[in-house]
Amino acid sequence: MSLMTSQPQIAIAANPTATAAFDPPIVRPGEQAFYRVVFNALEESIEWPGKVPAPAQLEIRPGAHGQILQMAGASLEPRTSFNHRVRAANVGMFTVPEYVVKVYGKPVTVPAALLEVVAAPPAGVRTTPRLMLELPVTNLYVGQAVSVRLAMPGLAGGIVQGLGQPQLTGQGFLVDLGGARQRIEMTTTAGVSLPAFFYETTLTPVMTGKLTVSAQGFTAGNRFSGPIVITGSATIPGGPPQYTLLESDPVELHVRALPTEGELPGFTGGIGRFAVGPPQLVTNVLHVGDPVRLTVTITNHGDGPLARLVAPPPPQVPDWQVFAAHDFTPAQPVLPPRAVVQPDVRTFIVEAGRQPTGGRAVPPVQPGARTVPEAVQGVVAFNYTLIPLTEAARATPPIPFSCFDPDTGSYADLTIPSVPVTVLPGTVPADLQALTQAASTAGEAEKELILHGLAASRGRTAASLVPPQQQAWFPFIQLAPAAAFFGLWNWDRRRRYLEQHPDVVLRRRARRALRRQWRILRRAAQTADAPRFAAAAVSALRVACAPHYPAEPRALVGADVLPLLPEPDRTGRAGEVVHRFFEVTDASNFSTASTNPAELLPLQSYLERVLQQLEDRL
Amino acid sequence: MKTADMGLWLLAFRLPSAIGLLLAPSFLSLAALAASPDTLFQAGATAYRAADYTQAAEAFRQSVTLQPASGTLQDLGNAEWQRHRTGEAILAWEQALWLDPFNDAARQNLRFARKTAQLEAPELAWYEVISTWLPVNWWAWIAGGSLWLAVGMGALPGLLRRRKATWQQATAALALMVFLLSIPALFGVQTRARIGFALQKDTPLRLTPTLEAQTLTRLAPGDPARWLRSRGRYVLIRTSRAVGWVEQDQLGLTCPKAGKRIG
Repeated sequence: MSLMTSQPQIAIAANPTATAAFDPPIVRPGEQAFYRVVFNALEESIEWPGKVPAPAQLEIRPGAHGQILQMAGASLEPRTSFNHRVRAANVGMFTVPEYVVKVYGKPVTVPAALLEVVAAPPAGVRTTPRLMLELPVTNLYVGQAVSVRLAMPGLAGGIVQGLGQPQLTGQGFLVDLGGARQRIEMTTTAGVSLPAFFYETTLTPVMTGKLTVSAQGFTAGNRFSGPIVITGSATIPGGPPQYTLLESDPVELHVRALPTEGELPGFTGGIGRFAVGPPQLVTNVLHVGDPVRLTVTITNHGDGPLARLVAPPPPQVPDWQVFAAHDFTPAQPVLPPRAVVQPDVRTFIVEAGRQPTGGRAVPPVQPGARTVPEAVQGVVAFNYTLIPLTEAARATPPIPFSCFDPDTGSYADLTIPSVPVTVLPGTVPADLQALTQAASTAGEAEKELILHGLAASRGRTAASLVPPQQQAWFPFIQLAPAAAFFGLWNWDRRRRYLEQHPDVVLRRRARRALRRQWRILRRAAQTADAPRFAAAAVSALRVACAPHYPAEPRALVGADVLPLLPEPDRTGRAGEVVHRFFEVTDASNFSTASTNPAELLPLQSYLERVLQQLEDRL
Repeated sequence: MKTADMGLWLLAFRLPSAIGLLLAPSFLSLAALAASPDTLFQAGATAYRAADYTQAAEAFRQSVTLQPASGTLQDLGNAEWQRHRTGEAILAWEQALWLDPFNDAARQNLRFARKTAQLEAPELAWYEVISTWLPVNWWAWIAGGSLWLAVGMGALPGLLRRRKATWQQATAALALMVFLLSIPALFGVQTRARIGFALQKDTPLRLTPTLEAQTLTRLAPGDPARWLRSRGRYVLIRTSRAVGWVEQDQLGLTCPKAGKRIG
């Protein structure tokens, strides 16, 4: 509570004001300037309009905005800045007229601002420094940490300021604020050696596609937010800082996903150029059940920073129990890559909170000094605890480890090699098996939580996502076997019936035979083939009577036919016709006397009537 | 007229239609080749490898529309996941498992996505769990086949006047057992078809099927729900937290046509 009450109060202005200006106020056609509006109010209280009323000839786009607290006497005063990027294609005077913005619910007038666009602006117009965002590479992979440098070159006369609230804006990346550093060193711009302020941090993209990154920060004069290394000659202005909001041009990153093809075991997301040092054991003579510590160093030889490299998971092997070492610590600080200077360059370190004196001159860089890139960007050590479970173990298990090399676009094998050991008899603790089970289960669970790559083929296909039982045709498909079984059952039922009633079969056969003979006799009658006609007629009479007698149809005679006719017909014309047909055919078959079957042809109509009567009885 | 003469006459009379019937499959195959499921699948995979996930998702979706396939749905889920469309990704992976529960990659992706997005999996009843053991299309055929096999083994020997052999009786008993065991799975398929997933971020779950209704809660993309019934463009769903109404477009069903039958 005392710490809270000791903090200076934030002064909220009763009548907030605004200032507006172009930076620089005079530019060439096509040159970019910033239209900057500053309020002495909190950012949340300002209802900033979506569009600034600018002349049509002036191309204006929204830029950075931010808030910083400025010491004003014993209290802090908020200063909120809104930047717009402005560009004019033609020479002229362009005025953004005054307009009203609501601050704390009250109307505040933003004054008019004038931009002069001339073909040849006078020298020395620029009064505020520029902020530049520098990335060594813009084609990245997801998870590939890259060093980012914000550079703010000093102005003429070697004047350089600090940068307050530096931040990277955009979507789809993470910024490692913990590893940020700042320094001032000499740079050569257009043949002129000037000091520049540098702010370095690490950016890690977490999304694929095109990402846009831009930087912003406030000029902070001699206020530095942390330790700073000053190299060379620089003039740091004294007095209260101006807190001007600067912003860099946006940088576009092209971020790709890591390829799934060729991924090696033990990949934990490490991207860069790493090398594995020889693993070290405390001792090479072990006892069964005794833990031993294995240490291996990973050296970063790449351009990127060694940011949070994750140790490979412990392997599951039968002879060893390997525990993951979560306490690994960097053997050297994990820092972004930087340039080191030769020892003859004098270096000054400014601690946080200790302000350098205003206008102090720092000794310049010696003419022979040069910067050389570091060969090693950092080293980390992984520690594992290994417990031999049997005396059969002759070497520590190799620990699969791999990383992705962005330069080659492929995975590199960094498997930690095994170390020869001698295992002597010992006792295995009883709870070791439980630990083994727990470690095994945890490893499997972690292994599952990855996004698998694309399927190589379309896999199992289907006509529809709708299951068959919900398809309209499915019941009909199921009716088909039902219909087949019903037909089979019906056929079997009929067959059993016919077996019990053989007369039905006889009558059916007789009907078929009668019709066949009937057709024959009709054809014979048409062709006047009297013998064939007579033979077919007798056969028809016999097969029509056969079911009524337990005899062969060929054994039947005319006397067998007559009882089947109605009583009046037996003695009438029908009976005569039957007798006549049998007589003529019997005579032609058995008698030596000549017969004339042609005389039977006129009797066809009587014969057919008899046959019809016989068929009706079948 | 002889048979040969009749055949020639028919050939002459129906020659144009016969030629049309012969050529129709060729034209159809040429048209299908331009946008067959395979070519769309390959196009999607190429776009995915080039990190063009929007194009990849579109190609995979068209391929699935032409012919649903487990691998295509898995890749569609991957593309949607890369587009940060969690709801569509989870729906696609669920549909991949719906078609092929042996697709381990889709299952792992679902677990990964739910772990990452802090989402819960749908709670399945025991018969629904059984229905996940095999592809959904199998259960209907297993049930139908086993039923008619049991009926056939029991009835055919009698119909054909043959003595029932031991193996026939054993087969009939086995088939009957399979049929009875597949009934719960069939029911599980029916109920699982009504499971859907919220597609949009902060999908409002409304008290009544109206635009001005009170919002009971908001669903995260990928949250599971069961389709109960529909009214107009709203559907009544039950989630693990509440029962309420959402718009039809905000819920993706594992079996897209199930809602129409229920509604």
